[in-house]
Amino acid sequence: MMARMLLLSFVGSCVAWPLSRLLGRRAAGWGLAVLPAAIFAAFINMAPAVEAGITIVEHVPWAASLGVDLVLRLDGFSFLFVLLITGIGALVVINAGAYLSDETDAARGRFFTLILLFMTAMLGAVLSDNLVVLFLFWEATSVLSFLLIGFDAESPHARRAALISLRVTMGGGLALLMAVILIGATLDTYSMSEAVTRSAELVRSPWIILIVAGVMLGAFTKSAQFPFHFWLPNAMQAPTPASAYLHSATMVKLGIYLLARFEPLIGALAFGRDVLVTVAAITMLVAAVQALRSENFKSVLANSTVASLGILVLLVGLDGPIATVALVGFILAHALYKATLFFCAGSVLHATGLSKLRSMGGLARFLPVTAAAALLASLSMAGIPPFLGFISKEFLFLAQVESSWQSVPLAVAVLVNAVLVAVAGAVTLRPFFLDRDKVKAVRHGETAGLVLGPAVLALLGLTISLEPDWISRSVLQPAVTAVYGSAVEVDLSVMHGFTPLLALSAAVVGIGALIFVFWKRIHRRLAAYAPLDRYDVEHAYDNMLRRFDALATATVRLVQHGDLRGYVWTVCAAAIVFVAWGLIAAGVAPRGTADWAPRLTELGGVAIALVGVGGAVAATKARTLLSALLAVGLVGFISALIFLTNGAPDLALTQFAVESLVVVLLTVALLVLPLGVRYTRSVRERRLDALLAVAFGALILVMLLDMSQAPRLPGASEFFGARALLEAHGRNVVNVILVDFRAFDTLGETTVITVSAIVAWALLGPRTAVEGALPIERAPTAIILVSTSRIFFWLLLGSSLVILWRGHNDIGGGFVGGLVAALAFSFHSLAHGVAGARALLRVHPQGLLGAGLLLATLSGLPGLFARGEFLTQLWWEPSVAGMRVALGTSVLFDLGVYMVVLGTVLAFLFGLRRQAAR
Amino acid sequence: MNASFLVDGAAVWPVLVPLAAAAITLLLRYHETVQRSVMEAAVLLMLASSVLLLGRVISFDTVSVAFGGWGAPFGITFVADRLGALGSVAVGTAALAVAVFARADIRSRRRRAGFDPMFLAMLAAVNGAFLTGDLFNLYVWFELMLIAAVGLITLDRRAAQLDGAVRYATLSILGASFILLGIGLLYAETGTLDLVRMASEVAGRPPTVARTAAAFLLLAGFALKTGLFPLFFWLPSSYHTAPTSVSAALAGLLTKVAFYASLRVFVSVFGLVDGIAVPGLATALALVAAATMLVGVLAANAQTDIRRVFAYQVTGQVGYLAAGLSIASLAGIAAAIYYMVHTLLLQTGLFLGEGAIARATGSHDLRRAGGLMRLRPRFAALYAVLLLSLAGVPPFSGFWSKFMVIDAAFRGGSTIIALIALAASFLTLYGMSNLWTQVFWKTPPERKRAVRPIPPAMLAALTILAACTIGMGLFVEPVTRFARHAAAQVTPGTERVPSMPPPAAEAP
Amino acid sequence: MTATYALLAAILAGCALYMILSRNLVRMMLGLSLLATAVNLMLFLTGRIGRMQPPIIPDSRTTLPQAATDPVPQALILTAIVIGFALTVTLTVLIVRTYRAHGTLASDAIRAADTLGDPLRPESKR
Repeated sequence: MMARMLLLSFVGSCVAWPLSRLLGRRAAGWGLAVLPAAIFAAFINMAPAVEAGITIVEHVPWAASLGVDLVLRLDGFSFLFVLLITGIGALVVINAGAYLSDETDAARGRFFTLILLFMTAMLGAVLSDNLVVLFLFWEATSVLSFLLIGFDAESPHARRAALISLRVTMGGGLALLMAVILIGATLDTYSMSEAVTRSAELVRSPWIILIVAGVMLGAFTKSAQFPFHFWLPNAMQAPTPASAYLHSATMVKLGIYLLARFEPLIGALAFGRDVLVTVAAITMLVAAVQALRSENFKSVLANSTVASLGILVLLVGLDGPIATVALVGFILAHALYKATLFFCAGSVLHATGLSKLRSMGGLARFLPVTAAAALLASLSMAGIPPFLGFISKEFLFLAQVESSWQSVPLAVAVLVNAVLVAVAGAVTLRPFFLDRDKVKAVRHGETAGLVLGPAVLALLGLTISLEPDWISRSVLQPAVTAVYGSAVEVDLSVMHGFTPLLALSAAVVGIGALIFVFWKRIHRRLAAYAPLDRYDVEHAYDNMLRRFDALATATVRLVQHGDLRGYVWTVCAAAIVFVAWGLIAAGVAPRGTADWAPRLTELGGVAIALVGVGGAVAATKARTLLSALLAVGLVGFISALIFLTNGAPDLALTQFAVESLVVVLLTVALLVLPLGVRYTRSVRERRLDALLAVAFGALILVMLLDMSQAPRLPGASEFFGARALLEAHGRNVVNVILVDFRAFDTLGETTVITVSAIVAWALLGPRTAVEGALPIERAPTAIILVSTSRIFFWLLLGSSLVILWRGHNDIGGGFVGGLVAALAFSFHSLAHGVAGARALLRVHPQGLLGAGLLLATLSGLPGLFARGEFLTQLWWEPSVAGMRVALGTSVLFDLGVYMVVLGTVLAFLFGLRRQAAR
Repeated sequence: MNASFLVDGAAVWPVLVPLAAAAITLLLRYHETVQRSVMEAAVLLMLASSVLLLGRVISFDTVSVAFGGWGAPFGITFVADRLGALGSVAVGTAALAVAVFARADIRSRRRRAGFDPMFLAMLAAVNGAFLTGDLFNLYVWFELMLIAAVGLITLDRRAAQLDGAVRYATLSILGASFILLGIGLLYAETGTLDLVRMASEVAGRPPTVARTAAAFLLLAGFALKTGLFPLFFWLPSSYHTAPTSVSAALAGLLTKVAFYASLRVFVSVFGLVDGIAVPGLATALALVAAATMLVGVLAANAQTDIRRVFAYQVTGQVGYLAAGLSIASLAGIAAAIYYMVHTLLLQTGLFLGEGAIARATGSHDLRRAGGLMRLRPRFAALYAVLLLSLAGVPPFSGFWSKFMVIDAAFRGGSTIIALIALAASFLTLYGMSNLWTQVFWKTPPERKRAVRPIPPAMLAALTILAACTIGMGLFVEPVTRFARHAAAQVTPGTERVPSMPPPAAEAP
Repeated sequence: MTATYALLAAILAGCALYMILSRNLVRMMLGLSLLATAVNLMLFLTGRIGRMQPPIIPDSRTTLPQAATDPVPQALILTAIVIGFALTVTLTVLIVRTYRAHGTLASDAIRAADTLGDPLRPESKR
């Protein structure tokens, strides 16, 4: 049933927007109030069960494997909160309907949605027993409070206040999350009730400090305890109904709720209660002073709320049953009178547009009902018999006397209560009844919607104490039992006879009256007292933000300096450090030692290597880019030579072809670029770089030498060697690997060069869809070249096809073939210009690319269809003129590669030539 | 011949479909509308095949394809296990959102510059990386991603894009070289490139210089491509220059697939969980993760350009992934997997939303935006979901990701990591709340042009991804169960699925 | 011989890194291509060194003789070479374009990406 209520409440708040538009300005509030009222009624029906001390538990599975299920648990304490949330909720919605009568439909709809969503979240928070679910609703209330405080988003004050509240409360929320996770990690359950019953285990856990600290931080931030209290007075930027609901009656009590729930755990800790009482005392004092200093109706109320919350935390901290009774009683009393006063403040604001207390006076003429309600509420607040406030205050003092505490907190409580009395006077007598001539007229009169809320709540504050039987039997009694753990006799009779407590109350009222009389003077003194501002927490908060922003900026300067060399340096250094760290951590040394002295037969190889070294060094020293390019190219050819002399002709061939192409293309590119190289690095930087380079080289040497000592495991090579001819019909094992065994790599790599060609064309080619007319190039001078070029072209093209074809059994293959073909075209373009070469090519290079890629991809499909494996090469061997020819889909694949390579190289060549010609 | 290969070979389609489509779009380069519809059809088909694959994997644990019929350990095989299939589905979803967004974002000039073929090639590469069981094949896919990304970043030929692309290419090529070197060393050590075979060769052997060096070279390479501190510089210096659709796709997909690769290699090949094969790896990961979380989020908070805010957020978020991995426990790996899927989808959405903001306000600058909650309420609601998810507010997937990582960290004894993760998520919340008030609340500064409408295509794309983060949050149970299975599957020598015992009966 | 080649590869890698760290984009690019060459050489060392016979099955036989070199690294290198080629040339194209856009090759003078939305300069325009 509770789950259904939650769902109903959620759905209701989702449809609130359209509904409010439907009902219109007048009726919206009343109409939507039905939802909370209905839920209120539904829960009232459960009163008998609660009274009988039955705990109703509902279990809706959600994330069982995480231990997070929607476990709802209704006991007396939750019941009290549920009634407050839904009951006051209904009145708030009605009040809001009247209060926002000037707002646009959209704004009102938004407000209703938010406030009802908030109600849902509150209900969930006080009902859920699973701590993670509770945290979920907890965070939801924070977010919604953020959105409500920032409701008037255009006002910078509202935005600032919203941000403060969000950051403070959600920061505490994260602390709470930590506590929740640690509880789960310790007990393997997130059930709050179980966590409380098993608090002995928790106390033994190594994380207990973190757990309790997390819970306390969560509660203190939410319930505005020092030093986090400052978000609450700021939160008064919210529309007044929201302030009445969130920031006095319900949300700020969530922290109290949590602390009360975890009281056994906190009490089990040596210093637990001390912390609570100390924080509470400080909060009360600070809030009392701030209340006396503040100007606005709402902020006076806000500060007095902070003080009351301090009293509540104090009551949680005190031990003994009476403390619990006082806690429960005060939660109820405070909710009733403070909400009333906020409603009245709202009515005043709505009616006069005034917010400063000193500018108000004699409003009782215009707002009689409001004035009456405010009077009743402040009598309760001041603790005048026979109001509920009086009883709860009696219990407060009783609890302190009975608890095992010395007199300090008692004195604080007396003082603060006195201030509250004064505040009660200040917010009621002055604006409504005294100096009658201050306000001449008001914009709006009272409407039913405006006065209903305060009237009802104020009267409740009186009737409950006169007729306490039902409420104490079926709400307070169970609540106390639920919190204290065992039944406690609650007797709300107004007069306990003339106990010393009564004298205490009288003293409080007396002092309060005095403060009220001297209110103006005290107010001016305190308001003018600068140090209070300097040591204000909000001040510290702003400084903290400034420091934080500075830190963030410093970080940006550090990581975003924008010097590419610096980035490269850091990256390489990091890689080197990683490897070194690994080697140290593993504590390994290179295996064995390689034979350093080369044999006589190998001197040739050594010579080649030396040339390579020379090339590399020359490249680093080269003063022009062209020489650097040539040096690098030389190294490339050297590596090709090394491949050749070590039985890798395919590699050699490809390396030669690629290297020459790179040289050609880069030379074309260099036509565009300045060739000279000035020093771009300071001497120091060059030293650092050299150092890094040496370290890098050394590390590589070490790992290569160690690798060379690794035992050879019989692996892929043997497998391929055995099957290349018999199963894959190819004698050139490397080529067979490329087009068959590991053809998929080749496909991927073909795509790589295809994309590179697209990039080249996108960057170098013309931007228009129709190929931009290429610049007319100078007619080539060498007649010989022109006349011979065609022959050479066809020769090269033909040989490229031969290479492509024989590749499977002998040196060659699609890549080299494509490269040679590209050579042919580039040669032709040398003679007849790019235009001529392209005319000869007929198709667009990209067409070639697409066709080639498609061919290579599709050549794998027949195998897929026939054998069920992609890229399975199929073979058939027709005998042409007596000699058997092996034809396979791999030939198609290789052809595709050939086309792609040709297209790519040409795309680069044409593009770069085009740039060079500009 | 029968048609069963369509299903048996389910693992190839997520790669083949976009690959073939890339070739086709290349041939169709003069017919932009056709090109676009081919691309969209391919993306849909790809997603469908990934979902099919997921179904197969759920029933058969792994779906493997031996290319050319040469099985492991010598031929190249695709081994789609739960992790790979999940990743590929996530990729498909993000790609779908981007494709929808592109309708409003990619005009004919960008199409002519080759958006479609390059985007499709990138998707093929990402899926290939998620599905392949061969280390060198993985390297090839990474190179394809690299080159496609370079092309996509420079789609408009803007100066900033070229500069960004140069930085991106330079650093990424370095990273790729590290990876290739590591692969070579591993091949020399094990005589195979097949991940499974490699694992069995590495397992139980004492560490050698070559193998240790290989592991840490791969760490460097993957860390660079994942965008981990201190190797992430390419990321914030390039992503903010690209067109929205592109930066969204890059931010969503590439860093995550790189993380996936490191997870795959370190967990299943180097046995990170029992931690014998490569000492010091978990510690290094933990240090890197902690630094990444803090630096990324801090730097994000100092930014004014929204694209840069999220670029640094990408870094901050992958820090959490590395954190999950560094815990070196099944729970940690499962958390990392869930987080990976979550952040893959979310980062895409955040960048797409940034594009929508820029479209509406005509600027990428926080300070020039404003008032969008009043002016574009539908968009505001959608984007609020994404921001809340990023900030780790329940019940969205962002909360569960952080919850699992922190929980695993505490249980795994890495308390520092847990605390840093909490601190970083507070800083994220700080930044996101600021972004919200700036973009959606404050009165927009005086500007010449009025706020433009946001095309429905953009809203649709955002709706897809918002639905994903909500769904992953509400249906967290099946997703986490799956993630835990996946984690157990990649971790050698574990069949049991770790799970918290369900909460005991409620106290009366 | 392996030691010699290993030394060569190490030196190449060192020089390559030194060039990559230059602030001249072309030198940097050349350094990367040199690094690719070095890495290919290292890959080559993962196979057996010191055998001369190419991995081509002679007509007399049906399987690869033991004396032949290891074909697998060669295939990998072949792939790596082509990819390296693609990357080098693409980077070249990028650099040409960058030079056209900025009129310089000094990477520290090219700040377009960095200044785009740089928070440290208040007047950052898009």
